[in-house]
Amino acid sequence: MHIPDGFIAPQVYGPAYGVAGVLWTVGLRRLRRELDPVAVPRLAVATAAAFALMLVTVPLPGGTTVHVSGVGMIAALFGAWNAFLALSLVFLMQALMFGDGGVTALPVNALAMGLAGSLAAVGVLHVLGRRTIGLFAAGWIGTVVPAALVALVLGLQPLVAKAADGTPLFFPFGWSVTLPAVVVPHLLVGVADGVLTVLAWRILAPKEAA
Amino acid sequence: MKDRLLLVSYLAAVVAGSVVHDARLLAAGAALVIASAGAGAPRVLRRVVRAALPFALAVSLGYVVAARADLDAAGTVLLRLNARVLLLVGLAFRILPAVDLHRALGFAPTLRFVLVLATSQVLTFRRLFTDFRQALDARSPRRVGLVAALRHGAATAAWFARRAEHDATAMTEALDARGFFLDRD
Repeated sequence: MHIPDGFIAPQVYGPAYGVAGVLWTVGLRRLRRELDPVAVPRLAVATAAAFALMLVTVPLPGGTTVHVSGVGMIAALFGAWNAFLALSLVFLMQALMFGDGGVTALPVNALAMGLAGSLAAVGVLHVLGRRTIGLFAAGWIGTVVPAALVALVLGLQPLVAKAADGTPLFFPFGWSVTLPAVVVPHLLVGVADGVLTVLAWRILAPKEAA
Repeated sequence: MKDRLLLVSYLAAVVAGSVVHDARLLAAGAALVIASAGAGAPRVLRRVVRAALPFALAVSLGYVVAARADLDAAGTVLLRLNARVLLLVGLAFRILPAVDLHRALGFAPTLRFVLVLATSQVLTFRRLFTDFRQALDARSPRRVGLVAALRHGAATAAWFARRAEHDATAMTEALDARGFFLDRD
């Protein structure tokens, strides 16, 4: 689902950095205040697990990639704020250490997957509870919502950045291509993420919460 | 300081690369960045192509099919797009290997701490995953079946989770013993 460098216009990644920057600052302050020596290792493990899962990518014709993300898993285990930070950290490592994802796409990925995906997953858990069906639905929605947002952002590029002759300067396809090309495969990937969330909860969840 | 300067330079170059829209300038920039690696240029180029090709190819082919009635205009768009991707990915592979990310992020101790923990776990995951896979291959006289591979994957994942959590706990307790968590606001 990562967007490589060169596909997102500055008119989009500039404001996205502004919004994400504020949220990262607030999140790091919360992290310093609230996390204890027991919770920090779990966050590190979940971050590393999400990183490892995202390394296995398959490119899609719409210009992006498909893979399980672990968004629902991390959101179920640590809540939306910490999931946002953990996934942002994953994107930072991928962009700066492995050249995967790109720094111009980092805030978009962080906001779509880390924030919106986590909030959607936590919302589903709030409604359905942390039973198997709730965890599965959280994993599924934590994949599908970010996919839809990424597709919307990609499809926005030809509208916000075009040359004088009307040709696109960045990602060239509109929503009629990006929405089906990105969202449809993720409806299936979401099933894998749902199963992953259920299994991860059974292995990693705090005993008092499981 | 050197690492932070390099990182800031890289970010500035990326912004510059995304506000220039002349395909010739972008292509020249990409060529310059890759050539600046000297004897290492072919290796940088290989890494850039390997990282960018799947995306660039998928988008380019899709665009050619969609704009088959006007291939001239499509050529201009694709030249600009691919030159930009080549430049930006080239910058990443040319500059970032020289940056010590942990030093560059020294201005944010909490971020650096979590980054160190996560990096250590990532390296553990990668090395041990290879060990486990090779062990399964060595124990299997014939090609491993799907069920056996799934069972092996599940057992490996559970082992990874426990091992990584144990290691991260040990590192955190070591930092705790040295007072890292005492200076929280």
